[in-house]
Amino acid sequence: MPAPLEIINARKVFRTPEGGSLTALDGVSLKLATAEFVTLLGPSGCGKTTLLRTISGFETLDAGDILIDGTAVTQLPAHRRPVNTVFQRYALFNHMSVARNVGYALEIAGRDKREIRTRVGEMLELVGLTGLEKRTISQLSGGQQQRVALARALAGKPKLLLLDEPLSALDKNLRQKMQQELKALQRELGIGFVFVTHDQEEALTMSDRIAVLAHGQIQQIGAPSQLYQSPANLFTADFLGESNLLPVALDGQSARIGDGQGFAAARPAGAATLLLRPEALGLARPQGPALSFTGVIRETYYTGKDHQVALETPAFGTLHALLRSGSTPLDLGAELTLHAPADDLHLIDEVAP
Amino acid sequence: MLRRLLSLYGLLFFVFIYAPILLVVIYSFNANTLNMMIWDGFTLDWYRQIFGMETSITQSATYVDSTDQLYAAVRTSLIVAFSTSAFSTVFGTALALAVARYRFRLAGFYRTMMMVPMIMPDIVLGIALLIFFITIGMNLSLLTIIIGQSTFLISYVFVTVSARLAEFDTSVEEASADLGATPAQTFRKVTLPGIAPGILGGWLLSFIISMDDLVITYFIAGTGNTTLPIHIWGMLRRGIKPEINAIATLMLLFTLVIAAIGLYFRSRRQK
Ligand SMILES: Nc1ncnc2c1ncn2[C@@H]1O[C@H](COP(=O)(O)OP(=O)(O)OP(=O)(O)O)[C@@H](O)[C@H]1O
Ligand SMILES: [Mg+2]
Repeated sequence: MPAPLEIINARKVFRTPEGGSLTALDGVSLKLATAEFVTLLGPSGCGKTTLLRTISGFETLDAGDILIDGTAVTQLPAHRRPVNTVFQRYALFNHMSVARNVGYALEIAGRDKREIRTRVGEMLELVGLTGLEKRTISQLSGGQQQRVALARALAGKPKLLLLDEPLSALDKNLRQKMQQELKALQRELGIGFVFVTHDQEEALTMSDRIAVLAHGQIQQIGAPSQLYQSPANLFTADFLGESNLLPVALDGQSARIGDGQGFAAARPAGAATLLLRPEALGLARPQGPALSFTGVIRETYYTGKDHQVALETPAFGTLHALLRSGSTPLDLGAELTLHAPADDLHLIDEVAP
Repeated sequence: MLRRLLSLYGLLFFVFIYAPILLVVIYSFNANTLNMMIWDGFTLDWYRQIFGMETSITQSATYVDSTDQLYAAVRTSLIVAFSTSAFSTVFGTALALAVARYRFRLAGFYRTMMMVPMIMPDIVLGIALLIFFITIGMNLSLLTIIIGQSTFLISYVFVTVSARLAEFDTSVEEASADLGATPAQTFRKVTLPGIAPGILGGWLLSFIISMDDLVITYFIAGTGNTTLPIHIWGMLRRGIKPEINAIATLMLLFTLVIAAIGLYFRSRRQK
């Protein structure tokens, strides 16, 4: 079965009105597996929307190719590509009823009235809006509009669905509900989703794979846990979740951090960076080899089940830790020693500037 | 105190604007045949007179203008107004779309140039058109009126439609294309309904302006084609006659009806 989407070495350069040029996509390659949910994650201006628009056909590539379901669509105009988009601000047709919005793709395709009505009914049921066929768009809440946009994009049975920050306009509760629904829907439909967000939590909970974008390039692509636990570079480590980054020196067999503590690391000699996630730090000394950090508690926040602690150490400055609530009192200004088992340490072959 | 003064000022302002119009309407029902400034009882005779019906007005008070001439003038005006407004609406809309949608060199220049006919003194435009038609050897006719009026009415449509386009969110056009609609389908099903209030407004505006344009039309009308404003102007030159009040009142009514239609459609869209 051909991949629902394959992007090969995509390049896009914008001429800016200021007279310069801006490389929005700098050699992006991406291949979706069947029924895969891939999220494009990255800071504002990194090229997420641009990449999505080149897939849907609203921007043309300067170089590279795009294949949808095995067919090259690079030269096709937007209306002839078998993908549909859920737009960030929905872009619903205000002068049409909900039913006509949802049935638009079928109306355009010239299907007969009865077929359209049946399909619209199915789609509205799918997104939980049964019975609202006759409403106009302005008579819907934001969340309902979001669902209509989703139903409209899915009604034509696209091979691939593109979603550009579809949840960013919703409040937090609704957003979490929609995240789950979207994910369930995607499993049920079994089509590829390319989802854009700059919310890392959203990306981590929903995706099969995440592509981290920066400066028009994919920094790393992989499963959420892989990206979180073993990021390939500093950008990904820093962008996803909280991180403590410590410089290390490698001598071929072991690694040594600034205060002289060491641990085994079979890597070529040189300099690298140690990633220490806040959860890796704990109060109890583990059985095997571990690193220990002693410092003074500068800040603590209780988050409901954990304590976020900022520990000021002489050798490494402030370290962030996430501690299970326990018997140990966490008073401001008190001295505390934390331990990180060697198994939870991850090395990045890059040196922080 | 200041509020009182301000509301008094507002009141005076409205009196200043509407009193003359109100007078015309009142006079059109005045039975006094000799001096219309003096109220002498209510009558519909002036209206009957316009439409060539029997009246009680004695011969000494009536004037020689025939009803047929008036009808002919109204007919001419309507033909001109329908043609120019249709023509201007199509071209004005097309221009507004072109300037709004396609980035081409000098787009700003075109936009400004489209405004110029609106601020150009009517006399200048009238003379310019007259000289133009004579130069290219076109006989003055209905056609020259239609062409001449269209040159500036296109601007009005352009401005009205442009305003609507400026607030029209183009992302719905992308959504339409995304769902498989060809550019023509998108235009018909999404763009056109979206800017329809602007187009309708431009059409009504150009229709009304065409109906009452005197100065420019006067220059390019030639002898055989008398529009309603030119006809009234002709009547006026032979003295202010009470029927003119009646004609003016009817024109006012006509304009209000058109404006009301426009407002009705507009409010229906915005719902
Ligand atoms: N039509 C354009 N002309 C010139 N530059 C553009 C154009 N569209 C986008 N850009 C630039 O390309 C870069 C990538 O933009 P893009 O919209 O893809 O960012 P994004 O990742 O979607 O950001 P956000 O999270 O803020 O939506 C930005 O620097 C932007 O300024
Ligand atoms: Mg974007």
